[in-house]
Amino acid sequence: MTPWARKRSIWVFHINAASCNGCDIEILAALTPRYDAERLGVELVPSPRHADVLLVTGTVNSMMKDRLKAVYDQIPEPKHVVAIGACALGGGVYKECYNAGRGIDSVIPVDLYIPGCPPRPEAIIYGILKLVTGGPPDPVEVEKPVVQ
Amino acid sequence: MSSDTVAELAARLGGSIVSHVKSVDLVVPPDKVLEACKTVASMPGFYHLSTITGLDLGEEIGILYQFWQGKSFLVVRTALPKTNPRIKSITESLPSAVLYEAEIQDLLGVAFEGNPYLGKKLLLPDKYPANAPPPLRKEADPDKIRKLLELD
Amino acid sequence: MPFGPIHPSLKEPEYFKLILEGERIVQVVPRIGYVHRGIERAAQERTWVKNIYLFERICGICSFAHSLGYTHAVENLTAFEVPKRAKYIRLIVAELERIHSHLLWLGLVGHWAGFDTLFMWVWKDRERVLDLEEAITGNRVHKSYSTIGGVRMDFPDGIAAKIKSDLEYIEKRVDYYETLVQSEETFSVRTKGVGRITQETARKLCPVGPLLRCTGIARDVRVEDPYAAYDEVPPRVQTSNDGDIASLLKIRLNEIRESSWMIKTAVERLPLGPYKVSVPRVVPQGESTFHVEAPRGELFYFVKSKGGSSPERVKVRSSTVANILTATEMLKGHTLADVPIVLTGMDPCFGCMDRISVVEAGKPKSWSISGEDLRKYGIEYYKGRKSR
Repeated sequence: MTPWARKRSIWVFHINAASCNGCDIEILAALTPRYDAERLGVELVPSPRHADVLLVTGTVNSMMKDRLKAVYDQIPEPKHVVAIGACALGGGVYKECYNAGRGIDSVIPVDLYIPGCPPRPEAIIYGILKLVTGGPPDPVEVEKPVVQ
Repeated sequence: MSSDTVAELAARLGGSIVSHVKSVDLVVPPDKVLEACKTVASMPGFYHLSTITGLDLGEEIGILYQFWQGKSFLVVRTALPKTNPRIKSITESLPSAVLYEAEIQDLLGVAFEGNPYLGKKLLLPDKYPANAPPPLRKEADPDKIRKLLELD
Repeated sequence: MPFGPIHPSLKEPEYFKLILEGERIVQVVPRIGYVHRGIERAAQERTWVKNIYLFERICGICSFAHSLGYTHAVENLTAFEVPKRAKYIRLIVAELERIHSHLLWLGLVGHWAGFDTLFMWVWKDRERVLDLEEAITGNRVHKSYSTIGGVRMDFPDGIAAKIKSDLEYIEKRVDYYETLVQSEETFSVRTKGVGRITQETARKLCPVGPLLRCTGIARDVRVEDPYAAYDEVPPRVQTSNDGDIASLLKIRLNEIRESSWMIKTAVERLPLGPYKVSVPRVVPQGESTFHVEAPRGELFYFVKSKGGSSPERVKVRSSTVANILTATEMLKGHTLADVPIVLTGMDPCFGCMDRISVVEAGKPKSWSISGEDLRKYGIEYYKGRKSR
């Protein structure tokens, strides 16, 4: 159990900016008992006004651009933004599509990028911990799937 | 219940039949589409409108009303001139067509007269410029559209 | 107004506009541009195989169903027959995906109804299914496993016993969840008789999948139009007659059991032989129509080739779009408290729930409400009713 987690929780607000939901379900999976990000103090909050960290998935199409900015503005300082998945990083597989952006950092500033399509829940937890501690966290014990 | 076979229906409406893998096209002129769809929907057995597909064929825009009839697809097919792509909506008789027609309105610039989304957008942003070609038309350039939508 | 904080009016369209008269919803107007990316257009510039990676990412939950629909549609234009072993493997992975999708849904229903414990338990069990998918295909979500001509890698050796034991575990858990959702009163009051849809409405509005089968209409693409190995391992179609959310629960849990049986059977009967056949880069000219039974229902693909190395047109009609009209019909007559559960009933994508606007009939003002606020409102509303 990493030391900082006893000091404070990280409240994250998640927004899906035109994503296929793959990253979104891996984020949710990170909170479920197998990976259990909650024991590390990571909690999903229902409103950006309560958040410390904004998790963004998706390519940010033209309909989501303004909404993403508006949500970002609602988060009080100090705030951090995590771009999760290949789409949020640089458009992912949709970068040729006419209604897909090429990375959320053209809309809001990003502090941390977690690549993957989608990234595994372990990678998401690793990334968030790295953001908060500023360095590699202690190894996270996860029950690994075993195939004979 | 309609007891027309597809061949009888084609003859009655002045259309033709084209076979593909897994589907049969009933090709009719645009003004016969509503009658064709209503007849297909009342053929024996349960009808299911899987979807409606729009195709840019160059000079024309093809509209395919794709019905699943339990063993194969029966497609009522027509073509509209690109210079004036208007056709009567089938939603009054076949309400399941609403969203499928609306999608073709947005992406290919066809007007389905009587569709509740006519003049409004279902998929594209409201700010999609009225003078830009609809995105699935051959003359539309995805890169230009991205710029118009401020995505670059 | 009795529900949550009002969001700043952002002057953009929302997924669902609910029009109320008094407390009751009288009309629902969907507007679904939030996830529109322009995939069909982009597909015209990518090669046939590269498009598999594009189309499977239309949805992260039924990604394999999308790749199956696309690869089958393209294969129909070629002269090549997919080997039998590949057909069985495709069935196994497709049914694993159905199980994971239905478990995901069950967890979400728990979440929306206020039972986060159910959500946690179900998603923990779901991880076993994802482990199996990963062991077979190499990935949990976007598996890129179906290719044109078969599957990308062979079925691994030595995994049959683990599949059997994991599925037996899942079946036991499903039995437990079923008694839980039926016996918990707060749960059953939110699902029995809620969202009633009749056969007559279903015939008019053409929904697909469990939403269609909950009205008693026994239609399933795997049975009507078998693909992969479904002609040799057909499912028993699960239906119910009540057309409500409780029926959808029953059907999806039964489908998990049915999928489990199909996977075990297919693994036992897995034929030897090649797992794919090589198909040329260029696909002959023609038009092909195909549909598969994704976890949410009929998924439709139309492919047109002009004889090149890229398609001329690909049209996708996802299962959720076919169900939106029926779901909006289900909402009529209900109050805001039932919105989360009824909308979840059709098993939509996440984003759909994010933004809902409420209009009172005849009044010009509208309020924006988030899915989360609706969820809380629903939980409080039903708690209040119970204590009376």
